[in-house]
Amino acid sequence: MAHVAYTADNLDIRYAHLALAKSKNPEIHKFAKTMIRDHEAVNEQALALLEKLGVQAQDNFLSQKLNQDGDAIIERFSTLSGAEFDRAYAENELAYHKAVNALVGDVFIPNIENAEVKALFEEGLKIFKAHEAHAEMMVEALN
Amino acid sequence: MASKVIRRDLLVGAAACAGALATSVNNGLAKTPRTHDIRIKSFEFEPQTITVKVGDTIRWTNEDLAPHTATAVAADWDTGEIVKDDARSIKVTEGMETNYFCAFHPHMKGTIELI
Ligand SMILES: [Cu+2]
Repeated sequence: MAHVAYTADNLDIRYAHLALAKSKNPEIHKFAKTMIRDHEAVNEQALALLEKLGVQAQDNFLSQKLNQDGDAIIERFSTLSGAEFDRAYAENELAYHKAVNALVGDVFIPNIENAEVKALFEEGLKIFKAHEAHAEMMVEALN
Repeated sequence: MASKVIRRDLLVGAAACAGALATSVNNGLAKTPRTHDIRIKSFEFEPQTITVKVGDTIRWTNEDLAPHTATAVAADWDTGEIVKDDARSIKVTEGMETNYFCAFHPHMKGTIELI
């Protein structure tokens, strides 16, 4: 579970770096920088907690699936440019945060027993929900 | 003569001081600059609206994991990035912009009432 969350964070950071490289839209840049800043903050806390608990995040089928899907999306993004890229990035951010939030909120959190891990996932979910709302505004602005 | 004037000034000064002290105690420190604390929690400024006077200080403390800012809509003041468990302060000045938001999460908004 920790590895899936970590993978999801890193994937969004990868999308954001691509957006910074490809987009010329200042709003997209601002959003992408926020994604990097926030997801790195979550990852830092997650790694610190794993270390404290003395556990290692294990690669699993779900994180592999996430990474494969992510690779495909990044490949598709790299063929787009200009407003087309901006729209695709914004729409993907919205869909991606929606999917991850549903997974974290409905599947992960109810099954976490460790209080500290649960608190971190809950904190993370708040952040991703804010991102989802932000992405929604961005999609509307671009359409 | 000169010493008398000084002494009287001192007395007046002392009386004024005592008066100011009494007033400030009575008015809940109305004349002394205050520090107003705002918590940033769950992507909200708490309280969202505060009432301040010129010379007061506003201090934002971030209790979220995500870094935030408090940034004037007109960009005339800005706390810069506030990371988790960190705090930043801004001194209230005359005519400062009173609407602010988080530059990282633009849906986060706050208002300062200047009196
Ligand atoms: Cu913020």
